[in-house]
Amino acid sequence: MHTPDGFLHPWMAALFIIASIGVLAFGTRKIRGTVTPRQTQLFGMVTASIFAAQMLNWPLPGGVSAHFVGGALAAIVLGPHLGALSVALVVAVQALVFGDGGVLALGANVWNMAIVQVYGGYAVYRVVSEYNETGAIVLAGWASITLAALSAGIQLGLSPAFGSELISVVTVMAGGHAVLGVGEALLTLLGVHLVARFDAADAESVEGGVVA
Amino acid sequence: MSTERHTTDGWDGQALAGLGALVVAAPVFAWAAAQVGYAEPLDVAAEMTGASASALSLHAGLFPDYTVPGLDPYVGTFVSALVGTLLCLGVALRIGSALE
Repeated sequence: MHTPDGFLHPWMAALFIIASIGVLAFGTRKIRGTVTPRQTQLFGMVTASIFAAQMLNWPLPGGVSAHFVGGALAAIVLGPHLGALSVALVVAVQALVFGDGGVLALGANVWNMAIVQVYGGYAVYRVVSEYNETGAIVLAGWASITLAALSAGIQLGLSPAFGSELISVVTVMAGGHAVLGVGEALLTLLGVHLVARFDAADAESVEGGVVA
Repeated sequence: MSTERHTTDGWDGQALAGLGALVVAAPVFAWAAAQVGYAEPLDVAAEMTGASASALSLHAGLFPDYTVPGLDPYVGTFVSALVGTLLCLGVALRIGSALE
C-alpha cells in the first residue's frame, strides 16, 4: 500500500502532506504532557514491532502477498493519537531510509496508513467494544486496512497516472485488501493479546514490588 | 524497588526477544516471497491501468528496497530489518519522552 512517487498528481501529494502534518500536529497537542514513562516504553516497542512485522510479506495463493500494517493494533494499544504517531514514524522511516514509498507521496502514505487506518480502526473498535471486545479487535483490524486501501484507491483512481479509472482502482485496492484484511484482523487480535498479557504480568508484579 | 526493576526488565526481555524473532524471520519471508512471486493489490492496479511506467524513484534511501548494496540480498534484508527496528525503537522512545 506504499504509494511510490510518480503515481499521484503533485497537487494531491502536496494536499496530503499538509493534511497529514495538520492531523498529526493536532494529535500531538492533545497528548503532550500526558504520556507516562510506561506508555513511552510501550510506544517504542509497538512502533519497532510494527516496522519488523511489516517486513514479513506473507505469500498467498493467487500470486498476491500481504503484510501486517498494524494501525488498529497501535490505536487499541496506544490510543489513537499516539498510535497515529507510531505508524507515521514507521512509514517515514520506510520512505526515507529504505525507499519504500515515495518522499513526495509520504503525506498520502501517512494519511492512508497512519491516519485513516489508525483513527478509522479506533472508531470501529470503540463502537463494537461496547458489545464484544474480541469482535471489536478483529473487526477493527479488518476495517482499518480496508478503509486505508479505500483511501489509497480513491487517491490513485483520481490520478492521471491511473487513467482516472476510479472505480476499477478502488475495486482492486479495497476489494483486495478486504480479503487480505482477514489476516490483519487475526494478527491484530494476536498482537493485542500479547501486549495485554505482558502488560498485565508487568503491572501485577510492579504493584507487588511497590507494596513490598 | 528491586522487584519493579526486575519485572520491567523482564517485560523488556520478552518484548525484545519477540522483536528479535521478527527480525530473524524477515529474510526467511523475503526468500519465500521470492520463490512464490507475488504482487500487492497496488501492483495489480498499477499493472491493470498502465500506471507502472509512471513510478519514479526520487529517493532510494540508504538501504534501497531493504537491501545493502554489495551484500547478499537476504543478509541485506536481515541488516535492514535490524537497522529499521532499532531506528524505530530509538526514535519512538525519544518522541515518547518528549511528550511526557
